[in-house]
Amino acid sequence: MKQTWIAATAALGLASPALAADDVTLQLKWVTQAQFAGYYVALEQGFYEEADLNVTILPGGPDIAPTQVIAGGGADVIVEWMPAALAARENGLPLVNIAQPFKSSGMMLTCWKDVGIESPEDLDNRTLGVWFFGNEYPFLSWMSALGIATDGKAEGSVEVLKQGFNVDPLLQRQADCISTMTYNEFGQVLDAGVTEDELITFKYQDQGVATMEDGLYVLEENLSDEAFVDKMARFVDASMQGWKWAEENPEEAAMIVLDYDETGAQTEAHQIRMMGEVAKLTAGSNGALDPADYERTVETLLAGGSDPVITKQPEGAWTHVISDKALD
Amino acid sequence: MMLVLAAVALWAAGLALNLRLANGPARDHATTRLLVPLIFGATLIGIWELCVRGLGVPRVILPPPSQIAQTFAANLPLLWGDFTQTILKGALAGYVIGCSAAFVTALIIDRSPFLRAGLMPLGNFMAALPIVGTAPILVMWFGFGWQSKAAVVVLMVFFPMLVNCVAGLSDTTAMQRDLMRTYAASWGQTLLKLRLPAALPFIFNGLKICTTLALIGAIVAEFFGSPTLGLGFRISTSIGQLDLGMVWAAILVAAIAGTLTYGLAALVEKRMTFWHPSQRGGR
Repeated sequence: MKQTWIAATAALGLASPALAADDVTLQLKWVTQAQFAGYYVALEQGFYEEADLNVTILPGGPDIAPTQVIAGGGADVIVEWMPAALAARENGLPLVNIAQPFKSSGMMLTCWKDVGIESPEDLDNRTLGVWFFGNEYPFLSWMSALGIATDGKAEGSVEVLKQGFNVDPLLQRQADCISTMTYNEFGQVLDAGVTEDELITFKYQDQGVATMEDGLYVLEENLSDEAFVDKMARFVDASMQGWKWAEENPEEAAMIVLDYDETGAQTEAHQIRMMGEVAKLTAGSNGALDPADYERTVETLLAGGSDPVITKQPEGAWTHVISDKALD
Repeated sequence: MMLVLAAVALWAAGLALNLRLANGPARDHATTRLLVPLIFGATLIGIWELCVRGLGVPRVILPPPSQIAQTFAANLPLLWGDFTQTILKGALAGYVIGCSAAFVTALIIDRSPFLRAGLMPLGNFMAALPIVGTAPILVMWFGFGWQSKAAVVVLMVFFPMLVNCVAGLSDTTAMQRDLMRTYAASWGQTLLKLRLPAALPFIFNGLKICTTLALIGAIVAEFFGSPTLGLGFRISTSIGQLDLGMVWAAILVAAIAGTLTYGLAALVEKRMTFWHPSQRGGR
């Protein structure tokens, strides 16, 4: 259905004059929220228009794998985490990172202090909530770095629960720790009436096992098409303008995101806080991927314990061609 | 393109063979009756394999059956663990609890018209609860283990079973019930000798419907929180890794389990309601 529609629009595009703006479809990793403020700002503030682009932003959700959407031809470019993109690459979908607006990782493990957790070593023999769907790799690598197994509650091992994208397991004390993002679930825990003093958090970034989040990925075969490269360079340039604008004007950016949220599920206070946290993660990135971060991500993933996400060193999983062109 | 043509040829060959068998001299033979659907299934799988390869469909959209079979064979212990967790613990426990509860409720409703007026709408209400809404709540109540999956299954199977049992219990004629009264049979005797046997086709109908519902309920409930095993866990995790071979291998396990349990229920039904017109072979 979607494919035929895209084919139809492509056909129309061929028929219309060459002056028309280029169509770009962006598939987000998650629902409309400040985590993607840069793209919504670029759309709202007309940065895409200036770059002669007609951008469609598709929100994601818990049941949408962006990698599958791009494989099915439903998007030109996707926002994805590096582990999932590399796993897809190994499974026969050659995705390439063209830009990395997020410099740091926002993922962390949030624990109750009163159960006696002070350092990562104290995680042993506890119940931990972890997200799956491609987000479990940093956790598994971290555990194998700590030398802790994940086969149930015992000395030298932890019990892993596949948690949903909510914070109930922690509040209900079904788990001693849960996965949270600095900009989203952590705020939900605080909103539930828990104070920061009662909690202890371990950021993956600080533990040296952070993997790159929210990069922009395209299909490798498209990169041999000069027109596509040019289009993407303009897209990355305009998106980065959007991100920098959002960093400088977090409140306005949050309001723009709210305008685009068709579900009506997001609240103003939550989005403003999220934007503030996201701005910390995008700060220090001009859009170009830092090879050192990439090396660390791959190293983390290859050390993924018994069930590694990738089995061999990926080749050509990122390129600077587009971000260099965009930064000119 | 060659492969696609081969797929068309395979389809034509399978069809021709089946037509010959179905119209041939041995058409009523048990072997033929078994062969025809098997040939049909094998042809479908062959067409799938050839079309996916021939048209160059990306593996992440639809893997060929050969890849699924390979993944399935290479991960038997893992899939067995998932099967035990989801089917033998979650689905089966929920199925037994839900169906028995529905049966007992049906008996109570049958005894008292007053309760019928109150309990039937309640049962209906339970059936209308969306699993997406109830599953996370039940995970909160019963934990991440198989118990919460069983609870979801109970909610799913209760109403269809209840409706079937209630309908079955009222499936006797006034004449038959009057006959029991002239024998001075008590309610319990009437139930055992007349009404339960008469209700069996309905009860089995409910049991058969509930086998598949239980399977779906247990798998979907695992999407909302689970330990690190189970068919639902495997499907949702492998999608995130784009390991479609594993996704389909898990789906294959679910399909086999569903077919077997349905078949088992149908077999028991055949044995127990041999007197019913629908069970007579007509030969």
